[in-house]
Formats: sequence, C-alpha cells, structure tokens
Amino acid sequence: MSISINSVSKAFGLYPAVNNVSLTIPKGDFAALLGPSGSGKTTLLRLIAGLENPNQGRILFNGIDYTDKSVKERKVGFVFQQYALFKHMTIFENVAFGLKVRPRKSRPSKQQIHEKVFELLKLVQLENTAARYPAQLSGGQRQRIALARALAVEPEVLLLDEPFGALDAKVRQELRLWLRELHQKLNITTVFVTHDQEEALEMADTIVVMNHGQIEQIGSPEKVYNDPANSFVYSFLGRVNEFRGDSIPQELRLNEETAGYIRPHEIVLSRTALDTSSPSEVIHVHTVGSAVRVELKRLDTDDILEAELSTEKYRQIGPLIKGEMLYADFSRMVIFDDDRPNQAKVSNKIVTAL
Amino acid sequence: MYVKAAADKKGNLVPLMRKWVLILISLTFVGVFILVPLAAVFFEALKKGIELYFLSLTEPDAWSAIKLTLTIAAISVPLNTLFGVIAAWGIAKFEFKGKNILITLIDIPFAVSPVIAGLVFVLLFGSQGLLGPFLEAHNVKIIFAIPGIVLATIFVTFPFVVRELLPIMEEQGTEEEQAALTLGAGGWQIFWRVTLPNIKWGLLYGVILCNARAMGEFGAVSVVSGHIRGLTNTLPLHVEILYNEYNFTAAFASASLLALLALFTLLLKSIVEWKSIKKRH
Ligand SMILES: Nc1ncnc2c1ncn2[C@@H]1O[C@H](COP(=O)(O)OP(=O)(O)OP(=O)(O)O)[C@@H](O)[C@H]1O
Ligand SMILES: [Mg+2]
Repeated sequence: MSISINSVSKAFGLYPAVNNVSLTIPKGDFAALLGPSGSGKTTLLRLIAGLENPNQGRILFNGIDYTDKSVKERKVGFVFQQYALFKHMTIFENVAFGLKVRPRKSRPSKQQIHEKVFELLKLVQLENTAARYPAQLSGGQRQRIALARALAVEPEVLLLDEPFGALDAKVRQELRLWLRELHQKLNITTVFVTHDQEEALEMADTIVVMNHGQIEQIGSPEKVYNDPANSFVYSFLGRVNEFRGDSIPQELRLNEETAGYIRPHEIVLSRTALDTSSPSEVIHVHTVGSAVRVELKRLDTDDILEAELSTEKYRQIGPLIKGEMLYADFSRMVIFDDDRPNQAKVSNKIVTAL
Repeated sequence: MYVKAAADKKGNLVPLMRKWVLILISLTFVGVFILVPLAAVFFEALKKGIELYFLSLTEPDAWSAIKLTLTIAAISVPLNTLFGVIAAWGIAKFEFKGKNILITLIDIPFAVSPVIAGLVFVLLFGSQGLLGPFLEAHNVKIIFAIPGIVLATIFVTFPFVVRELLPIMEEQGTEEEQAALTLGAGGWQIFWRVTLPNIKWGLLYGVILCNARAMGEFGAVSVVSGHIRGLTNTLPLHVEILYNEYNFTAAFASASLLALLALFTLLLKSIVEWKSIKKRH
C-alpha cells in the first residue's frame, strides 16, 4: 500500500509537533523517519496510524482518503517504542490477539489461529517462547514478539517507532539485518522512526529527514548523504567539522554568519605543505575499527577539528604522535545558502590527492 | 580490647532491649484496643448460649436489618464499582481541564464527616428540604426510606474504588490499549481483554473495602434512615437500638455479625494483596 501525506499539521496546544508535512511513500518501500528528539517523528507515525488526528491536511492510502477512518479501519501494524506487549497474556496470546478480536464471521478457527501464531513465532525465531509471559523475555525478544503480533493481522503498512531504541549495540545490529531481510521477504510498505543516522543510512530505501516538525529532505541514503539539501541535513547525517569567519575560504563566504562544513574523512592530511593547506598540530590520535581519527588544532585559525583516515592511508602517512605538525587541506569544505536550499557550494580548488 | 568488647556488648544489648520493648508496647496496644474488644463482642454474644444467639439473629427485626444491610450493599457496591471504574478510566487515560479539581471532589466523602453527608441529603430531599415539596407532590419518599439510605451509602463509599484504581491505571498508561486498537479490537474488547485484567486485583481490593464500609456505615445512614424497625434499620443501627434498650445479648449477637464481616474482609484483603504482589514478581 502506498502512503500519501498531504500538507498535514498537528499541534499539541499551541506547539506545532508536525507542521505542514507532505510526503509520499511508494508501495513496498522501506522508509526511515530520521530526526533529532522532539522533531515530530513519533507524531507523524501516529498520524499515519490514526492514533492522532491531524488539525489539517489529508492522509491517503493507495490514493484513497483515509484521514477520517478509524485506527481499526486502517489495518496498519504498529510497533511501539516500549513494545506495549500485553503483560498479563502469554506470548501465544499476545500474537493471537489480533486474530481473536475479529468479528465472528471473519475470525479464524482455533486450529487456524494456532497455526498462524506458530508460523509467526517461527518467522521471528521464537517458537519456544509461546507459553512464557512478556516479563520473561529479553528486550530483543520482546521486540520481535511485538513485530510478530503486529504482523498477525496481515497489515499492508508496518509502522515501527524506534524499533531498536532500547537495545544494546550488538543486538541492534543483528536485528537491523534481520528486519531488512524480513522486509525483503514480506515486502510490506514499512516506515520506521529512528534518531540514529547510521541506522537510517544502513537500512532504509528512503530517508525522510525531519526537524522542528518539518521535513528537511526526502531521498535515498546516497542522495541525502552526498547531496544534502541544507546545513541541517548535512550536519545530522554524519560527523562534521563546522567553521566560521576567517576559517572559511574567502571565495565561499556569503556574509559574516556563513558557516563552512567539512566531514572528517574529507580533510586531506599530508606531511608536506601544499599551497592550499594549513599547518595543524596533532592533539590526539585514536583508532575506531578500520579508521583512524586524528584530532587537530589548526594553527592559522586556532580551530579544533577532527580528521579521519583509513588505516591504509594512516600507514602511508606514518604513525602520528601528539604535538606533531601536519598540513591539512580543506578544499572540500562546503557552505549552504539556507535561503536558497539545495545549493551547496563546494570550494572549487583542486583537491590534491596524496 | 576489653573496653571495646564491653562497648560492643552494651551496643548490642540496648537495641535488643529496645526492640522487645517496642514489640511489647505494640502488642499491648493491639491487645487492649483491638483483640480484647473483639473477643468481648463474641463473648457477650454467646454468654447466654448459642441458642439465644441464633434466636436473636433470626428474630424478625434483626432478620430484616440483615436483609436491608445486604440489599443496600448489593445496590451501592455494584454502582460504585461501575462508577469508580468509569471515573478512574476517564481521569487516568484522558487529558482534560479541571482534572485535579475532579480528583479533589472525589475525596470529599473521605474528608467530610458522615453525619454531615447524611444531613446534606436531608436538606436536599427531606420534607423541609430543597426538593421536598416536589418529591412529596409526586409521592416519592427518599428520606426515612430505603432510597435515602442507598444514597447516603453510595456517597460515603464512593472514593474506595476510584482511589484504588487511579494510581494503577495512571502507572499503566495507555500504550497497551493503543496496541489493542491497532490490532483491530473494539472499545469493549479492549476493556474486557486488556484494561480489566490489568486492574483486576486493585479493583477487587477496592470493592472489598467499599463493601465493608457499605455494610458498616453508621453516621450518614443514621441521619437519613429514621430508625424505623423492620423497615429502615440497617445492622449497625439495629445494634445501637438494642444496646440502648439494654438488650445486650441481642446487641452483641448482631455486632458479632459485623465483626465477622470485618474479619472476613481482612482475610480477603490479605489474599488479594498476596496475589497481586505475587503477580508483580
Ligand atoms: N501528547 C502530547 N501532548 C503534548 N505534546 C506532545 C505530545 N506528543 C508529543 N508532543 C510534543 O510534540 C513534539 C514532537 O514529539 P514527538 O514525540 O513526535 O517527537 P519525536 O521526534 O518522536 O522525538 P523522540 O525522538 O524524542 O521520540 C515534542 O516537542 C513533544 O513534546
Ligand atoms: Mg518518538
């Protein structure tokens, strides 16, 4: 089922939690709502589910207006941030709930319910927990049961609110892959909320970047990462160094307030001075997985910044120690003219490869 | 070394003595003010033999008081249960203006003397009261009749169920209900399958306390009942009348019923408490 959101707004009191948002999610898409805390992600998801009513705007499923339809009629699967499993029911009863509350005519038989529940438990790889209570499961297991419960009603849209928010890093990583695979298998239009840009970039087909109740950019992970619409999207989607005033090359500066940005891995480090590079002092070096992060102090402007090298590059340049002098090249610095979005200007100097 | 050991000994001895003194004081207090009177009730009731005991309970006026007390409880407890669940649900699960005022209003029956509660109903529905002439014209009798007793009892026992449920419902929030909603459940299904099972022990606890008070209420009922023997006398009122007539055996026999009710309530209460704690772990 495709989802269209047309100029939807929702305010709590006077506070606009979602402000004039328009968005289309095609059938079978795997979309991420990405944004900082309080940016209105949950509210937008709840609006789609019908758990909140918009003050303005329309919500269409497959081109049909669903704005005034009840939660029940929308037939969406919703996974809550805290799972919201029924504490007093066993896992089996939790998953069976959506089938058992159907009107008698469309309610499957006991046998059918039993089969369906075990089929779903198998899908989430938790068949052996059927007789347990939610309190007896781990966070990751509860998460998967919540998903199985939502899938039991065969929804055409699956909405997940921070599905991995409460889990530790390793379980999170496993579940990300698993959910991606599950989506490929079932191909249900899925929207998930996250404030973790890595999670969004890794999992989603489409990323919707939100801030202050509005959408900053919609696009594929490559698009939003490589071609960010504005400084907010750029800063939110990865590690970033921000410069102001004299630290920005003259030809990039629009006015006094202009901010220049460069990602750590875009800073080119060398031991010899090039005409475009600035002398910098090494403050700290540490290795993170396959990359090496170098904290530097720019000697011409006193800015503290972070550069990142692959371990391979680091080997070429040789071991760095605190206090050492290097030359850093900021040719790939960008600025955003937020009055005219979608126009990132890149410093046009030639990037000298090492 | 020696000094230290002595100090230790002293240090241990004093708290130990303190402990026993405190326990002794508590036991004496409970004994004098609770156990002895309770035993006295049963002793007085049975002093002249078990036959007289049963006779004074089956005598028409006593029997009618027992029936009336049961009737009153049978009407007011279910009403207050229903009303309590609705009020607690409304307050805990929805946001609206004046919520705090409503919570305060619910506590009024606890704060106000029952006699005053009874008087309010007399002032409203009595023949000199605000609605008195209207009621008389339509031949409706509330004060000095059963409806008045029911009203007074409902008023006095109203907070028990709500007060018990409010914190439970507030703690649980609405997420489970919302999950049920997205799974296609309707309002009734959500109430029966999700909300009620989550509050059942608290609800039972509230109902037990509500019932105990409904059967035992004296002050408010005394004001509105008119003490008409065989008609508007509840068990507590009956006890008082018999006592005032120096009919001690009968008075204590009836009182023993109320005492038994109290003991039974405590037993149920402990079972429910034990069950709900077990559930939480
Ligand atoms: N029921 C509510 N009543 C009042 N304000 C609300 C309500 N729900 C959300 N808000 C406000 O709306 C704004 C957006 O909230 P929302 O929960 O959608 O943010 P979010 O992007 O999901 O944040 P998070 O990542 O912290 O979950 C917040 O400022 C929040 O305080
Ligand atoms: Mg949220």
